[in-house]
Amino acid sequence: MNPKRRAGFVVWARRSVQAGVFIFFLGLFWLAQARPDGGASPLIRFFFNINPLAGGITWLTTHALIVPMLLGLVTVATALVFGRAFCGWVCPLGTVHAAATWFSKRRAARRPGADNWTGWQRSKYYLLIGLAAMALFGLHWTGVFDPFSVLYRSFTAGVYPGVQYAAEDAATSVYFSDPHAGPVHLTSLTEPAYKFLKRSVYARDRQVFNGAVLILVLFAGIVLLNLYRKRFWCRYACPLGALLGMCSLRPIMRLASVEGRCNDCGKCATRCPAAADPDKPNGWRPTECYTCFNCVAACNRGAIDFKFKSPLPAPSSARLDLGKRAMLSAGVAGLGGLVLFRLTPRAQAKIYNPALIRPPGSRPEREFLERCLKCGLCMKACPTNGLQPTGLQAGLEGIWTPVLVPQVGYCDYACNLCGQVCPTEAIQPLPIEEKKNAKIGLAVFDRGRCLPWAYDRECMICEEHCPTSPKAIFCIPAQLTTRDGTTITIKQPRVDPEKCIGCGICENVCVFRDQPAIRITSANESRNTKNQAILGGVSGWKQIESAPTEPPAPASDPYAGN
Amino acid sequence: MARQSRREFLKKTALTGGALALAPLASATAQAAAPADMCIARFKEVDTNSPEAVKNMAIKLTEQAIANIGGMARFVKKGDVVWVKPNIAWNRTPELAANTNPDVVATLVRLCLEAGAKTVKVGDNPCHKANESYAASGIEAAAKAAGAEVVYLDKTRFKEIPINGKRIEKWLVYPEIAEADFVLNVPVVKHHQLCKVTLCMKNYLGVVGEPRGQWHQDMETCLCDITAFMKPTMSVLDAVRIMTANGPTGGDLANVAFKNTIAAGTDVVALEAFGAELLGHNPAEVRIVTTGQAAGLGKIDYRALALKEVEVS
Repeated sequence: MNPKRRAGFVVWARRSVQAGVFIFFLGLFWLAQARPDGGASPLIRFFFNINPLAGGITWLTTHALIVPMLLGLVTVATALVFGRAFCGWVCPLGTVHAAATWFSKRRAARRPGADNWTGWQRSKYYLLIGLAAMALFGLHWTGVFDPFSVLYRSFTAGVYPGVQYAAEDAATSVYFSDPHAGPVHLTSLTEPAYKFLKRSVYARDRQVFNGAVLILVLFAGIVLLNLYRKRFWCRYACPLGALLGMCSLRPIMRLASVEGRCNDCGKCATRCPAAADPDKPNGWRPTECYTCFNCVAACNRGAIDFKFKSPLPAPSSARLDLGKRAMLSAGVAGLGGLVLFRLTPRAQAKIYNPALIRPPGSRPEREFLERCLKCGLCMKACPTNGLQPTGLQAGLEGIWTPVLVPQVGYCDYACNLCGQVCPTEAIQPLPIEEKKNAKIGLAVFDRGRCLPWAYDRECMICEEHCPTSPKAIFCIPAQLTTRDGTTITIKQPRVDPEKCIGCGICENVCVFRDQPAIRITSANESRNTKNQAILGGVSGWKQIESAPTEPPAPASDPYAGN
Repeated sequence: MARQSRREFLKKTALTGGALALAPLASATAQAAAPADMCIARFKEVDTNSPEAVKNMAIKLTEQAIANIGGMARFVKKGDVVWVKPNIAWNRTPELAANTNPDVVATLVRLCLEAGAKTVKVGDNPCHKANESYAASGIEAAAKAAGAEVVYLDKTRFKEIPINGKRIEKWLVYPEIAEADFVLNVPVVKHHQLCKVTLCMKNYLGVVGEPRGQWHQDMETCLCDITAFMKPTMSVLDAVRIMTANGPTGGDLANVAFKNTIAAGTDVVALEAFGAELLGHNPAEVRIVTTGQAAGLGKIDYRALALKEVEVS
């Protein structure tokens, strides 16, 4: 079989692999829920475990080894052999870009040489160096650019809720308008489909997220950039691509030209999505090549093909020349960013953000930020939709990290999914009994709003839902005189700061929907010994045995006997 | 409706005529048996540490309680759509008695199907998330195994329906429940801080939509309104385990007591009164019960009813 024909098959094999991996990736959204035994599938972290960028940078920030993330070394090994085949064959974000490129009909450059390598493709390496420099000082901003984090976050916050919203609302409007022709109702078609999708595909009440618009616009932006350059993101921006590129300086499988066959038509380069210059003799760039086989499949003369060759001695190909000055500048820029991010009283832990309620099991804030990938796995898994991406509550350093917004969703007392799915243990996987005692905040009553305090009406819905035993919310009957002068007894609720774990179901169910009359702040959170207001908040309130009261001495004249 | 052929028409007429002719006979048989209006079934002796024994008890108590008030066929007609409404409000396991016992629910589903129900649906509008509550309560698995269709109430499918009560003019009600031929209310007996008890009437909070939390501002009247709207013909009170404190969520085995009892009856207020007694209250001092009687929903003095108390073993 000639190389062109064989490469044609390889290209179709690659497309099948890409499609398969992408469908598997979509399946992870379905897996992001509790199994009947309360556990989550470990598969959900798969893409983060095989991600050497996430694993490596987390190791730099924490100096701690996360064992499942060692799988990333397998990905590195593939790069040593096949170059950036991971980008071309596996990466689901790469697949999105490949699909967008295909859809945009910009599969081929207009003329030979129009889409060859430019120095700007070095930018992703500088980004990686900047991120690594930040990481040395404990700033984990990799998740903002890490392709899996970008994709999972964008799908969780934007794409998935958007699709579900559109489909469900269409079915709901059909349900209520009930269009029909005689006995034939449209709902007999839409309702079964709606129920099937709801129970078996989405498998969860619709989630919506704060800041989804920004996340989605950025995602749409990097997809649309494929119109400007094929696979723009992978060429210029992806730090994982850069890492794998650095591992692909001398891959064993290489693009080799067959002597005398090439007629310099340049067709191979027009089909190359990576601008890896397959058309230049000895100028092929292995650090850019996705091993996609498009070039081989494009060549009519069988002039190029991938061949296994020993990496020693160094075969001739274009080198990755980043330049010492530029690398140094990238590192310094990273450190500058780090300093900028932390020039706030909150970042320096002088004060704490009352709204920054981290999920149960979260490490202390500094350690948390050293690990969090901003991937959104915990937010997708949260059954109440309470975990939301931060805007600037945790500073620019902590953008898109998880925060509990009790008014949207409470922390389910019997659930510890967020800790189970977190790939970097920024949220530690607490056993359920331990999780039930993990305090994430403290409830506070707004007595100017609460019905029994301010409006002389019974309520107690917060007490009803309080999940601890005994309940953290308790009530004391109070006698009140109403406007018309009658005396009534009303139970007024209070919070026991020792029992309250800050789960926020009280705030979630409060009859006031604009600003609940009971709210959670981050005070008392177990993970922060400094953010404590209550004596005994960390160690527990010790009951002091009061001395037995002595019977009062009989009244006597103090001057008696004088 | 499709046009009937003449043959079909004759066949149907003959059948209807026959049924009409036999009807007096059937009612005469029923009168001869004279079923009770309320039955309290208690279990003699049980090892509550054995899950198998507790399950067996729950099944037998349910069967006996229903049998002694005339059997399920008294309430379920052939071809009926039945909605069994347990309490599945909380993401809690059965031992904690925060939700109705799953074996009681499953047995009721089976009895309804045996009585000729076309479909038996089971569902509640829970306080926690439905996915979690349905699974943790054990009710989803048990009811499905018994042949029921487990329904997740859809927030977008509630419809505003006139209630015409004292407080509640109209409210969001789940249409599938309102349209069922027979709604079998089966709450678990629990302590409640605000109302003292949560039983049959409060269980109807699971058929209405948000903002139902507002009802706490005048719980008694609102519950009488919804109960009058639901027109219960028969309810079952699950007191296999009861929650004695920290209700209605509980969360600690110390809050749970075995009463080994199931009560079934046609008078919802009588069942409320009995449940209040199980929790150690004088029913005359529980406002939900007294308000229910005042609203004409039933009688507090359940002993004055055609009451049957049976010991099951």
